Amino acid sequence: MNPITAIVQRNLLNYVRSKGRVLGSLFMSMFMLVMFSFLMKSSMGNLDTPMNYLISGVIIMSVFQVSVNNSSDILSDISSGYMKEVLVAPIARSQISMGHILSGAVIASLQGVVTMICGIVLGLRVSVLQILILAAVMLVSAMAFSAIGLFLATVSRNSPAFQTISSMVMMPLTFVSGAYIPTTIIPGFLLPIVYLNPLTYTTSIFRYIALGAHTLTTEELVEQGIAFSVGGFVITPFMGLAITVLIGAFFFALCVRKFNRADFSTVKVAAGMRGGAPARG
Amino acid sequence: MDPIIQVEHFSKKYGDFTAVDDISFTVDEGSIFAFLGPNGAGKSTTINTLCTILDKTEGSLMINGHDVCEERSLVRKDIGIVFQDSTLDAQMTVEENLKYHCSFYKVPKNEVRERIDFALDLVELTQWRRAAVGSLSGGMKRRAEIVRGLVHDPKVLFLDEPTTGLDPQTRANVWEYIQRLQKQKNMTIFLTTHYMDEAEVCSKIVIMDHGKIIAHDTPENLKHQYTGTEVDVVCTQAEPLIAALQERGVSWRKDGNKLVFHTKKAPAALEILSAHKAEVKDFEVKNGTLNEVFLAITGKEIRES
Repeated sequence: MNPITAIVQRNLLNYVRSKGRVLGSLFMSMFMLVMFSFLMKSSMGNLDTPMNYLISGVIIMSVFQVSVNNSSDILSDISSGYMKEVLVAPIARSQISMGHILSGAVIASLQGVVTMICGIVLGLRVSVLQILILAAVMLVSAMAFSAIGLFLATVSRNSPAFQTISSMVMMPLTFVSGAYIPTTIIPGFLLPIVYLNPLTYTTSIFRYIALGAHTLTTEELVEQGIAFSVGGFVITPFMGLAITVLIGAFFFALCVRKFNRADFSTVKVAAGMRGGAPARG
Repeated sequence: MDPIIQVEHFSKKYGDFTAVDDISFTVDEGSIFAFLGPNGAGKSTTINTLCTILDKTEGSLMINGHDVCEERSLVRKDIGIVFQDSTLDAQMTVEENLKYHCSFYKVPKNEVRERIDFALDLVELTQWRRAAVGSLSGGMKRRAEIVRGLVHDPKVLFLDEPTTGLDPQTRANVWEYIQRLQKQKNMTIFLTTHYMDEAEVCSKIVIMDHGKIIAHDTPENLKHQYTGTEVDVVCTQAEPLIAALQERGVSWRKDGNKLVFHTKKAPAALEILSAHKAEVKDFEVKNGTLNEVFLAITGKEIRES
């Protein structure tokens, strides 16, 4: 078995075995879905398919949250000591990162698909082809999100720190993504963050596909917050997806760099040293 | 025998603190090597550097001809490590732990099954193969961990206090397994331990303290150099023997009905005893132990350190 496959398989097994987590995480997605689709339905007067607009936003947001939260798995590997077994193995650090990113993305996408099916029950109208394309987009986006999450996890190094850092990053990114609050009403000084936010683009491509918006003109797309005009240059949903992939690749590189730093594992080693050397945070 | 591990002028600093200060030693291929020292001596720092998870500050460290800091992935292929603290995957079964380990170490696919069966049999965990590691007892976990470090046939096995925390029976079993395997596979074992009976069977011992190597020799030579012979004698008449000891300048004490004295070497004791055969009812000659060596060198008992 290829080391990446081994890591992915192991992480998936680990996920399936912690049933409480699976249920809890699915429940959160469902809760968000129901809350947002009912609460905000009334504010979406001018669209043909308001449910598609709303629910697609909620789905991609849950994919984002699940991806980032799943990255904290690596923190329990670090505290249990298992990470050391992985770090001393003759596996490329890029394979370790990729294994974790892939498994996180697969889990998040599976949950996304479940959420999407529930969305259909609640009034999301999509064809089978759209579902397949959406699932593929989910997987790509989830990989980028997992890379961000993994980086945050390796930076924070312990669960409480990760909780703080990830909510500090997730909350603002969620609010300036257009998923809940349309980007068209976000104040100008926040726009740079909007355009640097991968969530903005994943939300836009998701809506583009869910709304079947390929029939719309560029002006209409910009008006609905699905494409973005930055100083006259229009970022289309597909360009947005490419930007997301680039951001993901950037964070993947950061993770590999982090794993390559030889003394990364001192988190656990420090405890075993018992005075051998000062623990370094 | 050629050295499989070569450490030359290795130093490791954390800011101003020097954890390891210019140490050099070699380990012969196929030998059991003991690396001892009180806590804080720099043992773990040295092991973690040899295991490729810490960077050196200075010096050169080679395993099987590969530079530990430059050719990490080549070194990682050659070594197996059993850390002091558990690094098992608690949610996975014993078998899964071994299986993923084999994937990481690229054990040929057609050998994986056979090697896992052999390994489990060796440590008597066959009937627990499908049990989650987290549900096993401490001793079983330790055995699973040790056998995982072996399943990819490493050239060098690092054992960082492999038997600490085990009950005496399990400790004896685990240690027996390790020795049996070492002989079977002609592996090199790099051992740190608090148990001197484990260090006793090693062909070479290095003792570290305060980041420096303060002794580097065979167990026999160390005992020879740092300890003497203790003689306990039960006499019918103590006075002539005491007089003889005083004449030779040998210090003595009374311990109940026993007369206790120390000589540098056992034959010296023999000479005194044979001169006073008539008064000696019974005697016991005790050679120095590694515990005494450790105490003499570091000024600390290894168990309390």
